Amino acid sequence: MKKKLVQNKNRRSVMKGFGAASLLAVGGSWGFPAIAQNRPLKVGILAPRAGIAATIGECGLRGVLFAVDKINKSGGIAGRKVELIVEEETNAKDTTERFRKLVLQDKVDCVQGLVSSGVSLAMSPTVEEMKALTIYWDGTSQDGVKETIPNPKYLFRSTDNECEAVMSSLLAIKYFKGQFATIAGINPDYSYGRNNWAAFQALLKRFGIQYKVVAEQWPKVGTMDLSSHIASLKAAKPDLIFSSLLFADLPVFMQNAHAAGLTKGTKFVMPAAGFQQTLLKKEFTPEGMVFGLNTLDFNYPNATPLQKEFVQHYFDKFKDYPNWEADRAYFAMQVFKAGTEKAVKAKGAGGWPKTEEIASAIEGIQVESLGGPGMMRADHIAEQTFYQGLTTHKNKYDFVTTNPTDKKFSNELQKPPGVDFWQWLETAKITL
Amino acid sequence: MTAYLDIILSGIFHAAVLFLIAGGLQLVFGVQKIVNLACGAFYALGAYFGITMVGLAIKYGISQELLIFILLISGIVIGLIGVVIERLLRLVYDREEGFQLLLTFAIMLLLEDVIRMIWGATPKTLGNLSMVYGQITLGSISIPNYKLLVIFASVALALGLGWILQKTKFGKIVRATAENRRMSEALGVNVIWINVVIFTLGSILGTIGGALVVPTSAASLEMISEVVVEAFAVVVIGGLGSMRGALVGALIVGLMRAFAVHVYAELELLLIYLIVIAVLIFKPNGLYGKAAE
Repeated sequence: MKKKLVQNKNRRSVMKGFGAASLLAVGGSWGFPAIAQNRPLKVGILAPRAGIAATIGECGLRGVLFAVDKINKSGGIAGRKVELIVEEETNAKDTTERFRKLVLQDKVDCVQGLVSSGVSLAMSPTVEEMKALTIYWDGTSQDGVKETIPNPKYLFRSTDNECEAVMSSLLAIKYFKGQFATIAGINPDYSYGRNNWAAFQALLKRFGIQYKVVAEQWPKVGTMDLSSHIASLKAAKPDLIFSSLLFADLPVFMQNAHAAGLTKGTKFVMPAAGFQQTLLKKEFTPEGMVFGLNTLDFNYPNATPLQKEFVQHYFDKFKDYPNWEADRAYFAMQVFKAGTEKAVKAKGAGGWPKTEEIASAIEGIQVESLGGPGMMRADHIAEQTFYQGLTTHKNKYDFVTTNPTDKKFSNELQKPPGVDFWQWLETAKITL
Repeated sequence: MTAYLDIILSGIFHAAVLFLIAGGLQLVFGVQKIVNLACGAFYALGAYFGITMVGLAIKYGISQELLIFILLISGIVIGLIGVVIERLLRLVYDREEGFQLLLTFAIMLLLEDVIRMIWGATPKTLGNLSMVYGQITLGSISIPNYKLLVIFASVALALGLGWILQKTKFGKIVRATAENRRMSEALGVNVIWINVVIFTLGSILGTIGGALVVPTSAASLEMISEVVVEAFAVVVIGGLGSMRGALVGALIVGLMRAFAVHVYAELELLLIYLIVIAVLIFKPNGLYGKAAE
C-alpha cells in the first residue's frame, strides 16, 4: 500500500496513490471493461481545515480517507482506483473558486465535501452551471428551508439541516413533557440556528405543549465569550434551554453555564452537540440532556461491524473518537461508488458512463454508511439514519455519551420532496 | 436584583480583558504613533501559550491552584516576542501610516500562521480548570472566583501601569517621548530603547489578556479578528493614545454588550457600533483623546 501526501505552501494538499499495488493485484478480477482502468478516478474534496469548523473538516477527511482506503483495497470503483485532491473550504467566494479549479484544472470526476450552509448555498448554482457531479457532506442548497435548486441535475446534498432539530424536539417532548413551562434558546445567529429554534417551537405547538419563551440569545457563530449570554439566560430562569450551538463555542458555553450554576435543575436540548462530544466533559456537562449525534453515534451498542471497524481504526490512528462528519464523508463516497458502478454496468461494453449517466444512476441508490443505511432520493437529497439520546456519565470516557439512544431514519424527520417545511411540520404524521 | 449583578459582572469581566488588549494598543500608539493591528494576534498567542504552559505545569505536578500565576507568567514570557517584532517595526517608524498599518497587518497574518503551525487549527480549551478556585453564590447566582481574580488582575495591572507612567522617572521619560519625540531625543533620551520597552509592554498586555481569558473560553484562530474589532471600538470611544480612555472605553463596550445581550440580543454588536458612530460624530477624538495638532 503506497500513500503519499503532498502539501504546498497554500495549505492545499494532494493525496495520491492509494492502494496502487493492491489495486493492480485485484483489479483484473473485477470484470469491468479495460477502458475503465486507464486512469484513476479523481475526487476533489472541499473541507474546512482551519477555524471553528476545523475539527469537523478534519473528521470528515479522516472518514473519506477510510472510505477510499477500503475502496482501493477492494479493487477501486468499477476497477479504477480513487485519488483525492483536497482543497480547503473557507468563505463562499474562495471555496467556489477552489471548486472551479478542481473541475477545470484538476478535471476531477466528482467533488465532495462542504460543511458550511452559507458556503454550500452560495456554491450550488455554480455546481449546476459547471455540470460537475458534486455530493455535499453537510452542505445545503436551501435558503433557510426553501430549496433554491428544486431540480438539480449534478448536485446531491445531505439531509435537511433541520432533521436534528426535529428529532431533538420530539425527544424533548417524549422525555420532558410536563416538566417545563418556560423555555429559552441560545442558537447561532444564522438560518440554521433560527430555523431549529422555530422548528422546536412549532413541534411544541403541534403536540399541544404550553410554553412561554423567556429568553432568546443569538450569538455570532464562534463567539467565545458567552458570559453575558449565560448571565442573561440565568436571569430569565428557564425550565428548558434549547441550543443549536455546534462548534467550539458549545464546550465553552457548557463550561461557563455549569460554572454559573445554570445546569442545575435546567433541562437542555442540544440537537447538534455531537460535533463536540469528546470536548463535553462530564465535569461540566450534566446527565439527562437531549443530545444530538446526527448520523453517527460512535458508542452505539448495536453498531454495525463496519462502524465498529471504523471507530477502532479512528481510535488506533488518532487517539480520538469520530463525529458524524466522518459518516457524511463516508456516505458521500459510497454513494459515488455505488452510482458509478451502477452506471458502468448499465453501459456495459459501451465505455465509461458520462457524468449525466452517473448522476442519474445515483438517484435512488441505497448504501450502507458507517452509521447505518442511507439512500439518495430522486430529488438528490440524502436520507440517513439519525441518533439522539439522553446524556449519561456512566461510561468509560471522560465525556458524556447517550443512554438511552433513539434511532430514526430521516424519512421521519425531513420533509418529502417539494413540500414546505413549516406546512409539513403542521400536517405530517410524526411519532414520538 | 442579583440577576443584574451577574450581568454587570459578566460585562466587567469582558471589559477587563478588553482593557488589556486596548491598553496595549493605546500604549504603543501613545508613544510610537503606530496603530498595531497585530494586537489580536498577541492576544491569541497568549491564549495558546497559556494552555501549553498550564499543560506542562500540570504534567510536572505544579498545583492547579497556581493557575492564574502560571497564566500571568506565560503571558509575560510570550509577550517578550514584542522585542523581536519591534525590531521589524523600526523599518517603518518614519514612513506613512499606511505602511505601518500594512506591516502590522502582515505581522498579524504571520503570527496567525505561526500559531497554526505550532498548535494546529483546532480550538483548544483548558476544560473546567477555571473552577479550581471555586465559586461564590449570591442568591440565585453563582460567580466563578476565577472571573473575579481576572477582574482583580486587570485592575491591578491598570493601576500598576498608571503608577509607572505617572509616578516613576521611567514614566516621565515615556510621557515626554510621547509628547515630543525629537525634543526627548535631543535631551538625551534613548528613544530606541523606549520604543522597545513600550512595544514589548504593549505586547505583554495583549498576551496576558489572552492567557487570562482562556480558562473560561477557548483558544482559536478566530479570536484574533474577533477581538481586534472590539479593541478598536474601545480605542475610538476612549480616544486614541489614552490609557484612561482604554479603561473607560472597555467598561462602556463590556457593559453595553452585556446589557444588549440581556435586553435585546440582536443589538449585541450593533449597539457598540452605534456608540462608536455617536462618539465619532459628537466627540471625534474620543472621550479622553487629544485633538490632533
